[in-house]
Amino acid sequence: MMSERLMSAVCRLRCLGLALAVVVGASADRAFAESDSDFFEKKIRPLLAERCGSCHSAAKGKTRGGLALDTREGWQQGGDSGAAIVPGKPEESLLIRAVRYRDDGPQMPPKEMGGKLAEAEINLLVDWVRRGAPDPRTTAARIGGATLDDARKWWAFQPVRPTTPPIVKESNWPRTDIDRFVLAELEQRGLTHADNADKRMLIRRATFDVTGLPPSPDEIEAFLRDESPGAFEAVVDRLLGSPAYGQRGARHWLDVVRYADFHDGDPKARNPVCEPLEAWRYRDWVVESFNRDLPFDQFLVHQIAGDLLPAPDGKEPNTDGLIATTFLVNGAWDRGDADKEKMVSDMVDDQIDTVGKAFLGLTLGCSRCHDHKFDPVTQSDYYALAGIFYSTRMLKELGTKGGEITLQRRPLVPREVVEKRDQQVKQIAEWNAKLAELDKQSPKPPADDPARLELVAQRDRLQKELPPEPPATLAVSEGGVPGGLFPGIQDVPIHIRGSYTRLGDVVPRRMPSFFAGDRQPPIASGSGRRELAEWVASKENPLTARVIVNRVWQWHFGAGLVRTPNNFGMLSEPPSHPALLDWLAAKFVEDGWSLKRLHRRIMLSATYQLSSKVDGRGLMVEGQKQHGEAAAPSSPSTLNTQPSTTLDPDNRWLGQFTARRLEAEAIRDAMLFVTGKLDPATGGPASDNLAIARRSLYVQTARWDRSNFATLFDAANPDASDEKRNVSTVAPQSLFLLNHPFALDQAQLLADRLIREVPGDTPNVEAARIQLAYHLLFSRPASDEELAIARQVMAQTAEPTAESGWTDLAHVLLCSNEFIYID
Amino acid sequence: MTHDVLSRRELLARTGCGFGLLALADMLAANEPDRAAHPYAVRAPHHRPRAKRVIFLYMPGGPSHVDLFDPKPRLSAENGQPLPFEKPKLERTKTGNLLASPWKFSKQGESGIEVSELLPQTAFCIDDICVIRSMHADNINHTGAAAQMCTGEQAFSRPSIGSWLTYGLGTENQNLPGFVVVSPAAVFQGAQLWTSSFLPSAYQGTLVRDLKNPVANLDAPAGDLTRQRGKLDALARLNEIHKRDRVIDSQLDARIASFELAFRMQREAPEAFDISRESETTHKLYGTDQPATELFGRQCLLARRLVERGVRFVQLFDAPQNNAWDHHGGLRENLPKRCQAVDQPIAALLTDLKSRGLLEDTLVLWGGEFGRSPTAEGNNGREHHPFGFTMWLAGGGIRGGMVHGATDEYGWHAVQDKVHVHDLHATILHQMGFDHERLTFRHGGRDYRLTDVHGHVVRKILA
Repeated sequence: MMSERLMSAVCRLRCLGLALAVVVGASADRAFAESDSDFFEKKIRPLLAERCGSCHSAAKGKTRGGLALDTREGWQQGGDSGAAIVPGKPEESLLIRAVRYRDDGPQMPPKEMGGKLAEAEINLLVDWVRRGAPDPRTTAARIGGATLDDARKWWAFQPVRPTTPPIVKESNWPRTDIDRFVLAELEQRGLTHADNADKRMLIRRATFDVTGLPPSPDEIEAFLRDESPGAFEAVVDRLLGSPAYGQRGARHWLDVVRYADFHDGDPKARNPVCEPLEAWRYRDWVVESFNRDLPFDQFLVHQIAGDLLPAPDGKEPNTDGLIATTFLVNGAWDRGDADKEKMVSDMVDDQIDTVGKAFLGLTLGCSRCHDHKFDPVTQSDYYALAGIFYSTRMLKELGTKGGEITLQRRPLVPREVVEKRDQQVKQIAEWNAKLAELDKQSPKPPADDPARLELVAQRDRLQKELPPEPPATLAVSEGGVPGGLFPGIQDVPIHIRGSYTRLGDVVPRRMPSFFAGDRQPPIASGSGRRELAEWVASKENPLTARVIVNRVWQWHFGAGLVRTPNNFGMLSEPPSHPALLDWLAAKFVEDGWSLKRLHRRIMLSATYQLSSKVDGRGLMVEGQKQHGEAAAPSSPSTLNTQPSTTLDPDNRWLGQFTARRLEAEAIRDAMLFVTGKLDPATGGPASDNLAIARRSLYVQTARWDRSNFATLFDAANPDASDEKRNVSTVAPQSLFLLNHPFALDQAQLLADRLIREVPGDTPNVEAARIQLAYHLLFSRPASDEELAIARQVMAQTAEPTAESGWTDLAHVLLCSNEFIYID
Repeated sequence: MTHDVLSRRELLARTGCGFGLLALADMLAANEPDRAAHPYAVRAPHHRPRAKRVIFLYMPGGPSHVDLFDPKPRLSAENGQPLPFEKPKLERTKTGNLLASPWKFSKQGESGIEVSELLPQTAFCIDDICVIRSMHADNINHTGAAAQMCTGEQAFSRPSIGSWLTYGLGTENQNLPGFVVVSPAAVFQGAQLWTSSFLPSAYQGTLVRDLKNPVANLDAPAGDLTRQRGKLDALARLNEIHKRDRVIDSQLDARIASFELAFRMQREAPEAFDISRESETTHKLYGTDQPATELFGRQCLLARRLVERGVRFVQLFDAPQNNAWDHHGGLRENLPKRCQAVDQPIAALLTDLKSRGLLEDTLVLWGGEFGRSPTAEGNNGREHHPFGFTMWLAGGGIRGGMVHGATDEYGWHAVQDKVHVHDLHATILHQMGFDHERLTFRHGGRDYRLTDVHGHVVRKILA
């Protein structure tokens, strides 16, 4: 049995491991004499406050040079130049040197702040330091921007808790456990839920949600006819099995990973060296991964370290793995920067920032210049991660100061094939050189010189055999950027204030210490990317599963349970339904990180299937009732009829479904779908032509072009990870739909379809065509009132030919709110 | 910013009875739907503004300060000799020895500020101009430096000045875009210089490339507005039916309104952008009748028409082609050409604004992403130079006829009253009524601002 003392020592060691960067202030923790305390309070505290406080006070948020002098930890940790005071040693203390106005360092306080201290004041400080700098101004142990205590208590940093669905009063409503969590919160707040969505609303919602397209009239019809209890389940399974699911899911994910097809929107102006010309391979891999339901943990490991994974079929290279690492490389570098070292440090920063936000919901990038202001992340943690990415190569070469960035491309064929081709290219070059040499001789050998002819024939033969350049992908590899400040695999120093020009202590590569605790994976060889990927993807990581589950929830409901999906840090708003989030996260991991099962679980809940409408009876709340007991929803007349939309205008408690506008891509795709012209082709490089009939996923996103259709309708900004799209409503959107040739063409094509599919000899042909349009666009029949308005549109057309009347009606319907708002 | 227009429902919600403070605070925090519905609604700034609108005359490529606004006798005296101190480590290409300005400077106006002979007409307005000779920036490449000048950040995407200002203030004419960028040729990194970045995309600059066809999609099919009116009336009726039992009425209302607004824009915007409606005298003033000054003259005249109609921020790129002011070579031939192209139009703009009483609350800025090296690149060029350069401001509560700051004797480093790009930004925001530390947007876990963690208002130049 372990002795008590040994146990306590082990314990302490563990704590140290857990909180590597925590300032515990052990050396200053000694009890100091009363006289020391008096001395400090009477002489030193006022002096520091008056003469140093305006620039060096953490409480005032002014810490020039990174130095705070209003806490003990402030001077212990010190500023950019290190600890400010060495207790007991005035000569070695930077603070004392500074106040003495030594020539070889900073002179404090500076002239504009009143200049040098009086001799007596300097002596007081010297005396204080000599006494060991007793300082009773203790603060709680901190790590980064948080006290250790607070960080440990923060919900997102605790392990996912096993939760059980709560007991609810309206026990016949829940269909799944999700509903119990939701209903319990509603009941607790005296809110009721809406009615169920009707079947048309539901299939329209589900189809747009899963595929980004509207349901076809046949699909609606089939669902209406199917009265079995599993009818909706069958719809969900059909949708999740359709190839359009991957295209839709990929678009969501591409927002998170700042995906762009190009920098320059103009194909002719693109510089192939710095353009991410092969990024489409990554986009296609994401589509494919969603469609085959690649478990999310593997999906993420591929993106961080796919180049290090063995090929599943044992045949190198692992093409999927290489392609997936485009994730790390496809940032907004533009053409690079003259300051190449800064450029590389910016790339590393973008990688840390994107990995942090996309997978962990942590704003790790905030610790580049200083410790995180709010979260338990230190600058050391940042440079521990930076070492991993500095040890990763994403550029072909560092490049010259005036030159442009050269993204690294890696071939997608076996090494032998590449080497053989390289050999052939080299051989051809040699023969060409030889020929040039021959031709330079004087006298020049005759054209029919047999040696020369033989050489030409050889060369031409090989040239003919030469296979085309092998396909390549943007990808990373192990080892840093050659010629850079940190080539090869290595730990890197802290960059003071984020600048490579001022380097501090070297930090060993590791995971952020608060989060990894005593489970730091050892980095034996290599950059550490593999270890990072596995640590992020581990079941024990409290953030990863929660973060992706929350994103998927947002994709379905328009808002996450946590409304800042890229930030689960301590400044974020906690989840509305923490127990539900944990329950979903736990189930998700149990299900083998399957996204499709998660979608299914969410969509089969009664919560997902609620109506978004206020009806005559529903959405009522307890209102002024004093005791908060739930009234039976079947007795509305006894209730104060205040819609819950008033008490919960954001629908945080999910008493209804929130209607929302379609995203840019879905608007365009829906237009193509209803005209019947949508081209189902998948994959390949993106087009710069909006008029093509392919899905919007295949129309280019170019970082330098913000005057395009997608941006107009709030597509993600591809320069940095985008957690949630804005929904803005501006007149130029309406101008597009009213006047742009694309919109006018779709109106024409829709009219053509109506006329084609309902021939002129059909009885009541006009009504039949209008009804077809309503089924195609709105998934429902038109009312008499709407039929009348439609007829008026056609009647008032300037030139009353049948076709132009139908085109005008089609145009009006495509512009309508109902077409782009989903209930 | 908590002074958004209240939607009908939120007004109901907030004035309803029985709320705890917490619930109220929650709702105030959840203001975004209002902003989405009315992104351009006029909002009040932090303090009383001195300027209501901005015109940024941007010279892409980097105009040479030592040849235009910052005369250096030592540079002339030591022409051909080496720079007598070490050049900064940050250098793209090696430059040679000192290169005297081939042009003469003379004192202008009552203020007696020295201006190059290349800008005789701008010189005529010098008493309205504050010349900042001590600008400095951090990046030596066009892309990074231009990004810093327009967004405050060199490497990462951030909202541009114009986006921040339209986000903060809205715009005064709902029938026109609030932030207009005029750039006849494409410039490097394009929209990243006028992007709204993480601000809602409603706040990004509207790019005008073709002055004859300025705003996209303004022409109704076959120009038939009557027919379109008919369609819009039907649309409004259908949308009203759709809205009846739906909860998100403020969004739906906003979209209904946006179609009406679009219809009005079709009528109003062409008028605003149509400089042919100006008198011949005005055209002569701006030089649109002369080949050399026609292009920038049209841009300046357009800028005046737009600010006159309430556009908040107009940014003109002098861009007959990309990087027109990037004089690595051909300085002696090409700098005079660029100066000739912009000099008269700029003087005309200042004069015209002044005579219409607009200059006092219109802030006009002139400059590029950096200056050019006092040392020679080749024998007839200058290299990029962010270490010390000139920009000027006029109107909008800025003191005219003054020089602020100085570079060293060779025009290399800004040395006196240095003004960083962040300081310039802080000053622009200040004149527009904002405390630059308080105009923020929460994104990715923190509050962002135009000046990041930097910036001081340059108080000495305020009138």
